[in-house]
Amino acid sequence: MSIHDLSVPIAVPARSWRDRLGSIVPILVLAPSLAASFVYVFVFTGWTLYLSLSDSTLLPSYGFAGLDNYVSLWSNRRWNIAYTNLFLFSGFYIVGSMAVGLLLAILIDQRVRGEAVWRTIFLYPLAVSFIVTGTVWSWLYNPVDGIQALVRGLGWSDFSFALTSDRNHAIYAVIITGVWQSSGFAMALFLAGLRSVDPDLVKAAQIDGASVVRTYRKVILPTIAPIFLAVAVIQIQFAIKTFDLVAALTRGGPGISTTFPAIYVYDLMFQRGEIGEGAAAAVMMLAALAVVLVPYSLWVVWRRRAEAGNG
Amino acid sequence: MRYLRATLVATAAFAFLANTALAEPKTNLLHQWATGSDAQAIAKLGEMFEAKGGKWQQTSIAGHTANTLAKLRADVIAGNAPPAVQLKGPEIAEWNKTGMTADLDDLAKAENWEKVVAPELLPVMKPSGKWVAAPMNIHRINWIWASPKVMQAAGVTEVPKTWAEFNAACDKIVASGKICISHSTADWTDSTVFEVVVYGQDLDLYRKAFVEGNVDAMRSDGMVKAFEQFRIMTSKYMDPGMNGRDWDSMSALVGRGEAAFHIMGDWTIGLLTAAGFKEGTDYVCAQAPTDWGKPGFILNSDSVVFFQQKDPDYVEGQKLLASTILSPEFQTVFNQAKGSIPARLDVDLSKGFNPCQQKSQKDLQASIEAGTLVRSMAHNMTIPQKVRGAIMDTITEFVATPNMSAKDAANAMADAAEAQE
Amino acid sequence: MAERAAAIDLEAAAASRRHFWSRFAIYGLLTVFAAVYLIPLFVVVFNSFREQAEIARDGLISLPRTFRLEAWAQAWSTYCIAGTCQGMQRNFLNSLWMTIPATIISTLLGAVNGYVLSKWRFKGSEVLFTLMLLGVFMPGQIALMPWAFVLGKLGLTNSTYGLILVHVVQGISFTTLFCRNYYVGIPDDLIKAARIDGAGFWRIFWKIIMPLSPPILIVTVIWQFTGIWNEYLFGVVFTSGQAQPITAALVALTASGTTARSYDVMSAAVLIGALPPLLIYLFGGKYFVRGLTQGAIK
Repeated sequence: MSIHDLSVPIAVPARSWRDRLGSIVPILVLAPSLAASFVYVFVFTGWTLYLSLSDSTLLPSYGFAGLDNYVSLWSNRRWNIAYTNLFLFSGFYIVGSMAVGLLLAILIDQRVRGEAVWRTIFLYPLAVSFIVTGTVWSWLYNPVDGIQALVRGLGWSDFSFALTSDRNHAIYAVIITGVWQSSGFAMALFLAGLRSVDPDLVKAAQIDGASVVRTYRKVILPTIAPIFLAVAVIQIQFAIKTFDLVAALTRGGPGISTTFPAIYVYDLMFQRGEIGEGAAAAVMMLAALAVVLVPYSLWVVWRRRAEAGNG
Repeated sequence: MRYLRATLVATAAFAFLANTALAEPKTNLLHQWATGSDAQAIAKLGEMFEAKGGKWQQTSIAGHTANTLAKLRADVIAGNAPPAVQLKGPEIAEWNKTGMTADLDDLAKAENWEKVVAPELLPVMKPSGKWVAAPMNIHRINWIWASPKVMQAAGVTEVPKTWAEFNAACDKIVASGKICISHSTADWTDSTVFEVVVYGQDLDLYRKAFVEGNVDAMRSDGMVKAFEQFRIMTSKYMDPGMNGRDWDSMSALVGRGEAAFHIMGDWTIGLLTAAGFKEGTDYVCAQAPTDWGKPGFILNSDSVVFFQQKDPDYVEGQKLLASTILSPEFQTVFNQAKGSIPARLDVDLSKGFNPCQQKSQKDLQASIEAGTLVRSMAHNMTIPQKVRGAIMDTITEFVATPNMSAKDAANAMADAAEAQE
Repeated sequence: MAERAAAIDLEAAAASRRHFWSRFAIYGLLTVFAAVYLIPLFVVVFNSFREQAEIARDGLISLPRTFRLEAWAQAWSTYCIAGTCQGMQRNFLNSLWMTIPATIISTLLGAVNGYVLSKWRFKGSEVLFTLMLLGVFMPGQIALMPWAFVLGKLGLTNSTYGLILVHVVQGISFTTLFCRNYYVGIPDDLIKAARIDGAGFWRIFWKIIMPLSPPILIVTVIWQFTGIWNEYLFGVVFTSGQAQPITAALVALTASGTTARSYDVMSAAVLIGALPPLLIYLFGGKYFVRGLTQGAIK
């Protein structure tokens, strides 16, 4: 039911030479992809991990420097802000796009006319790159030319909408834009989930006299619970990779208020020529991911065991 | 007919021989001038390079400098360093340390660069005593661009010369209902204005803190005083529109007579000219305020660094490119387009240059004589990137945090710089 | 139940009133959200037809007073980016040449991998699958320098082939994940029956799996195409000069330069750069949702 489903393996009773040959083919077919993924995930990460412990500056070098880079990293205010922002952003962004996505999915699921049109409208931002999204939204947020100016021009002269220029609120501008971009994806997944709910269940609830809200709360949403998790996991990887969006929208500002780890890693590694410290920051990003992924993987394993026990 | 064919064959054969015998100079310049007048200026370099028989290629990477540096680093790690890269300031020294930069000493001697290039640039272009880079221009940072109309309307008779005069003028201008300082906040714009303040208040402090990276100087009372002046400017004289304003629209506010002053480097000339504003009527330029009564000059310079190559065509191309960059013809054309002045001191600016550029060249000479010439921190000509980045973070945070005190800011700057060591 | 029957008329009237208001609320909410989603698009579309002078005068958000296509023509073929004044056309083609092969290859590999991992499991295949999944979560900045090194060793720097390789490897995780989860839903009996009939690995793949695959292949193709088309960092770092993809040109156009911005050309450029994925979503959106329903998340 989640992105990590399981099916019953095929039992092949008799093993002829042909079967044996046949059983090698799948492994051979899989091997190149596996090797590439292995290099990509483990060798690249391992290399980064090693660099984070090295004295690399302008170019990678392999002198051992212990935890120096980590100490230096955590003593930097900007990094602390970036790391806090990551958690703040991830939380609001994921909850926000799930809430909006679920609302839209439920609305569309009420047998509305022109479903395809609505769906396309909510889904199209997903097709647009973060760079384009960030650029266009930065125009809208612009206090001199954007929404604020427009509304003021219509007569509300003290209307204020200048999120990107206020250091305490700029992060919300990033969140809103992120939600705008990806709530359509959440909607698509939720809609898919709602459509897969057994209609008899819903009917049974209605016959019992449950209201629409109650039917959703007690019957439909619990059955699509795994989809919440699937959406969350996919959104998390968007959140952690947030780079283009912030780069185009606020460039990390005002001040350093919207700095994110991905931007900081890039800055350290390339702009400031601090490859060792940049690698340390990258490792911390992976650590943030692990905080989320490890419990998720454990949950998947646990569920699989539980299913195996029942079945 | 037969005669003609024979000639053709002979010509072709000769061309073939000539090709194999002589290296054909070619190059691929990695730079970040992707659009507009910058791109046009660099296109001129390409034309001149081709006119001298070279084969020109370029890779321009827009946006953040980090993108250019990422590309350079990726190329070096991949084992094919680019033949020519636009790099500046301390980065030249850092890459020189890797031992991958090419040696231009022979060419420099032959063309007598030592004599003609501005002396302040020499340590930057030859970080370990050998020429590894060719300077393209000299930008002046400590300019103040002023709107005569706004000043007149507010009763300000001349462009302020000291910071006290500046504050007095600004009070009048704000009272008259105009913006005093046109600004757009970003780390580099905030730092540009701030370094002009520090330089104008205390030359020694500027040298210690921003050229040598001395942490005690950053913590000193002088720095606190500079932050206090900067706070007056950000809170009283700049308008709230500085957040979210595009940096390239700052100068237009002065040109259109909506703001009185704009403190920014001389690339502003290019923006003002492109927008159709005239020097003298729409705007005037003057040295930014100093409290020590001498001509002053904060310098920034763009340059091209050369990396060692195996392909003899590229090696030849490097010599040709360096020689083209330092030629008076290129220095003239390039800087006319860019607003800066030639890195060579022997180029005549009386024709085709803006009056502000001519003033820039005079002030450069005068400040060399007065011993007040410095390199720019905000524009990456002095301290290493990591220290500079930490300092600039503090400055831009100060601007974005109205209740941060000057003393806290000075301490934060010193702490941030110290953490990088 | 008895009460309900007694009040049935009243309730029917109330229900129809409630029905009207709930319909009203549903369409009202949808319209509000649709407006928020569409405004940015309209702003860009309008600006691409307005004159720069008009944008400067009336602000960025305004209905066009003039209608001109010049900005589009400029962005496509004459605007000066990166030192050559040929607009974005070359970068657009570069992006196509990179995106199409990378999408096809990564999708096919994902299909085969998904087939093996769902129908030809072997000891440890679940563990391997989980490991491959980790690739989905790698932040690009981490991989930048290792990729530079690998591409250098393979002699693929500054070439579209290098970028194709990068995108294929990075995409395998996602395509494998999608396809595997979809194929798990194909009854094993089908495969078993085919094997009893003597069909081998590839025969089953082509004759049984592939004909059932279009819904999920559409999902992966859409996903990969948009992702690769919109990618910026690798595109700009691993190619040079005239070989750069469209995102590099877009950033060059929008990011800076020491000259004043022309919002009209920028808007047209933004639209040109976003057009292929937009078209794909426009025409494939229906299948995207349907495919997701049937497979990727099930």
